Amino acid sequence: MEKLVYRHNRITRTTHWVNALALVILVMSGFQIFNAHPHLYWGSTSEPDQAFLSIAAANDDGEVRGFFRIYGWQLDTTGVLGVQNTEMGPAPRAFPSWLTIPGYFWLAGGRRWHFFFAWIFALNGLLYVIYNIANGHLRKFLLTPKDAGRVPAMVLYYFRIRKESPQAGEYNPLQKMAYTSVFLFLTPLILLSGMAMSPQLDTAFHWLPAMFGGRQSARSLHFILTFLFVGFTFGHVFLVLMTGVLNNMRSIVTGWYKEKVSEKPEPAWLQGFKEEMIQKPARVPVSHQIPAPELEEIPPAEETLPARVEPTQPDNGISKSATEDAQISPESSQQTLPTHNNEAKKDIVE
Amino acid sequence: MNLSRRNLLLGAVQGAGLLLLSGCEKAFNSLQQNRKFLSLLESAEGANQRLQRLLTGKNKLAQEFTEQDISRYFKPNGNPPPITMDYAADAAKQWSAWRLEISGSVKQPARFSLPELRSMPSRTQITRHDCVEGWSAIAKWKGVPLTEIMQRVQPTPEAKYVVFHCMDTDDSGAHYYESIDFLDANHPQTILAYEMNDRALPVEHGAPLRLRIETQLGYKHAKYIRKIEFVASYEAIAAGKGGYWEDQGYEWYAGI
Repeated sequence: MEKLVYRHNRITRTTHWVNALALVILVMSGFQIFNAHPHLYWGSTSEPDQAFLSIAAANDDGEVRGFFRIYGWQLDTTGVLGVQNTEMGPAPRAFPSWLTIPGYFWLAGGRRWHFFFAWIFALNGLLYVIYNIANGHLRKFLLTPKDAGRVPAMVLYYFRIRKESPQAGEYNPLQKMAYTSVFLFLTPLILLSGMAMSPQLDTAFHWLPAMFGGRQSARSLHFILTFLFVGFTFGHVFLVLMTGVLNNMRSIVTGWYKEKVSEKPEPAWLQGFKEEMIQKPARVPVSHQIPAPELEEIPPAEETLPARVEPTQPDNGISKSATEDAQISPESSQQTLPTHNNEAKKDIVE
Repeated sequence: MNLSRRNLLLGAVQGAGLLLLSGCEKAFNSLQQNRKFLSLLESAEGANQRLQRLLTGKNKLAQEFTEQDISRYFKPNGNPPPITMDYAADAAKQWSAWRLEISGSVKQPARFSLPELRSMPSRTQITRHDCVEGWSAIAKWKGVPLTEIMQRVQPTPEAKYVVFHCMDTDDSGAHYYESIDFLDANHPQTILAYEMNDRALPVEHGAPLRLRIETQLGYKHAKYIRKIEFVASYEAIAAGKGGYWEDQGYEWYAGI
C-alpha cells in the first residue's frame, strides 16, 4: 500500500531551487573569474613562482598544451583544461567555455553574474535558515555527538558491510553530518573567504583575510570550498537518482512524496526504536506502583499509558503536538520517522 | 524490465543534461547581451557599495605591512607605458616639463611640478595591491595625500567626483582615466604616489605620478596622471561610466 504525504513545504521547495540555480551560476561565473588568473597561492601575495596550483598553457615545441599542476605534480589536460580549441586555433583558457559564464572570456561579465547571484545565494540561504529555525525543522538534521558516534556504522551500512542501519530519526547520521557541515562550515566559510577578497572590507576587518592566512589564501580556499560544494551537490543528486528519482522530484516540486506503508516486517532498527519509545514511559511511573500491597488492584502498567495503541495500524489522524515530548504513542514515534506528518494536511491512501 | 526502464531514464537524464549545457551556454550568452537583464545583474554593485561602506565606516586604514612583506615581483598591469616622444623626452629630464594640472569645480585651479609635490607633506605606506584578476602584491608607496591637494585648490560644493586623466592609451588611442568620490578622496591612505619601494616611481608603474586608493581594486589606481579634474558628474567624459575599465563593463565601485 502507498500513500502520499506532504513532505516539503513551499518555502523549502522554493529556496531549494533558487539555491540550485544560484550555486550553478556561482560556480560557472567563478570559473570565469578564476580564468583571469588561473593560479593559486598561500599567504597575502602572489609571487609567480610560489603558485601551488595552476591550470594553464605551455608551449611544447610549437604546440600549445594545457596542463593542471599542483605542488609540482603535473597532468597534461589539453582539450579539457588549460587550452581550448577556438576558430583561431588553440587558445590558453583554464576552464573551457562550456563551464564558464559568460561562455566567452569576459572577466567583467563573470563578476556581474557572480556578485548578483552571491546576493541571491546569501539572502535565499538566510530565508531558509530563519524559516527552518522558526519551525523547528533545522534541529532535526543538526549532528549531535550521539549521531557523530553512529557515522562509522552508517558508512558500513551504506557499503553493505553492516546489515542494520543505525538511523534513529528522519535523517541518518551521514545525512546529518553532510547537512550540518554545509550549514555550519561550508557556507559561512565560502561567504567569508569571498568577502576577505574585498579591499574595502579588509580596511575595517583586518582579521578577515588574516583568519584564512592572507588574501591569497582566502582566494585559494574560496576555490577549494567550491569543489566541496560541487562534491556535496553531486552526492545529493546521485542519492536523488538512486532512491526513486520521480518520487523525489515530485516531492521537491509539488511537496508530495509517495510513501510505502509497510506490509513486510519493519527493519530491526525501527522495531528497536519503537520498543525503546514504548518502554521509556513505562519505566517512569514507578511511584504509581507503590505501595506494594495495592499492586494487584492497579491495572497493568502498559494500560496506564495514554494513547496506547497497537503498533501495527498506522493512524495518521493523530495530532503530534500533544504527544511529541512524551513520545509515548508508538504511532507518533513511527510517524515522525520517515515524513513530516505534522505537515500532512491530507493524506491520500492509494 | 526494471533495469531497462532505469537505463532509459538515465539515458534521458544524460541527454537532457547535454542539451541543457549547450542550451545554457547560449542562453547565458544571449542574456549577457540583454540590456535589461544586464542592468538587473548590475544592481549588485550598488548593494555591494552600500553594504560594504556601511560595514566598514569612514577612514578605516587598510592593513600596512612591513619591509619584509614587500613583493619581489609586482606585475605592471594595464596599458603599456605611454611611448610618445614627449613622454620619453620628459622622463629623461626627470619630469622637468611635466605639470599636474588641477581643474574643474575648484576655487583655485593650479599646476604643480614634481618638486612642488615632493615638498608637500607626504605619507609612506606599505600596502597590498589587489588586482581585479585575482593576484595581490605588496609594495611601499610614498606620495602626497590627495587631501593636501584639495586643501590647496578648494573644491566647490557642486564637485562630487575626482577624475584622474592619464597619459597612457590603449591600442585604439583611448586615454586611461578614473574617477573616485569624496569618501575615498578624503581617505588618509589615498595618495598621489611618486615613489615606489624607496625609489622614484618606475615607468611601468606609472611615472611620474600615480594614484593609490587602498579601499579599491587595482584598476582604480590610475597611473601616468597628468590632470585631476573635480566634477559634479562624470557622464560627459569618454563613454560616461567613470573610468576606462568602467566603460568596458567593470564596476565603478571596485571595493570587491
